[in-house]
Amino acid sequence: MTYDVAVLGMGAAGLQAAITAARKKASTLVLGKPEDSALWSAEVENYFGVPRVKGRELVSIAMEQASAFGAELFKEDAIALSKEEGVFTITSESGRLIQSKTLVFASGISRKKLNIPGEKEFFGKGVSYCASCDCNFYKGVPVAIIGEGSEAAISAELMTNYASRVYWIVETPQASEHLKERAVSAGVELVAAKPKEIVGDSKVAALILSNGRRLAVNGVFIELGARSSTDMAMDLGIIPDPEGTIKVDRNCRTGVEAIFACGDITGKPWQVAKAVGEGCVAGTEAAAMARGV
Amino acid sequence: MSGNIVELTDNNFDSFVESHPLVLIDCWAQWCKPCHMLAPILDELADELAGKVAFGKLNVDENPGISYRFNISAIPTMLIFKNGVLQEPLIGVRPKEDIKRYLLSKM
Repeated sequence: MTYDVAVLGMGAAGLQAAITAARKKASTLVLGKPEDSALWSAEVENYFGVPRVKGRELVSIAMEQASAFGAELFKEDAIALSKEEGVFTITSESGRLIQSKTLVFASGISRKKLNIPGEKEFFGKGVSYCASCDCNFYKGVPVAIIGEGSEAAISAELMTNYASRVYWIVETPQASEHLKERAVSAGVELVAAKPKEIVGDSKVAALILSNGRRLAVNGVFIELGARSSTDMAMDLGIIPDPEGTIKVDRNCRTGVEAIFACGDITGKPWQVAKAVGEGCVAGTEAAAMARGV
Repeated sequence: MSGNIVELTDNNFDSFVESHPLVLIDCWAQWCKPCHMLAPILDELADELAGKVAFGKLNVDENPGISYRFNISAIPTMLIFKNGVLQEPLIGVRPKEDIKRYLLSKM
């Protein structure tokens, strides 16, 4: 089946978009992991009509609300997006293919920095945040990938085509079994530890782990979280600004047909009220476009 | 691409750097998505700073000599030269104002 509206992100903006779209009788699917949303771990005290509440409570209620209106909730991240003949195809991390007439980016702003010694000093000298950009510079040398989600799994698999050895430093993998298996069968070595320090002289020479182990690597790829939406947005012709935000008009349109964006991903203020407001607009607009009304 | 940005190669790189007092060279590749994020910013800056800063663009895939010489291991990298001398490069996508401020500080 082809959904009317597919929403990427299960936080305040994404769930409000889903509630609004589903209530307007649009067939709606929301992808994402609610615990990855900024709201999940927040304590909210400045949201209209609610004196003080835990973010996760708001998210849980909104998930029930979205379901009650008929939206389908799918707790997986998207790892690829494409568009053919006016229909979007979303690949989820378990390999499920989902088709939709419209797309709503509500996946927030991702945290990319690890904040360990050596990370800043060696940026561009062996430390990279973009395996797909810099893979070619690491032909035949050992590298480490740091991260727990789909971005790290995909990057680790990619690097096996270039590097002599690929270590994936991951204590508690959050990526799907499907992605993990793909990485391992490509030759990625999983190392269950936390990264502690990146060391070297003028370039990266090793990664020190929390268990004291020293991995001799020339490249350290920091790929935290899910595959970033800005990266996938670019596959569809949206060029985010350097902060990773996607520009929208007052109808939450991105400038690329049938793609909307709402919430933190469109820029500050990073507030629940703004996310919910934009989610409502994006959900309304996407539903109307998909249903031709 | 702005008309104020010159396409550079391993062959014309040195003469370009030597013939301008202040130069910014965007080292990029076709497959690099952040490079595409940076491109429109540099287009605007090349127009705004025309006559003050010479802007060039070097495809690292097609010009491995320069990438090797300057030890480029991340893209986009912006190489900046003042009177032919390499300054601290800017690595990764940066906001327009940051790049502009950096260039103005080198004038």
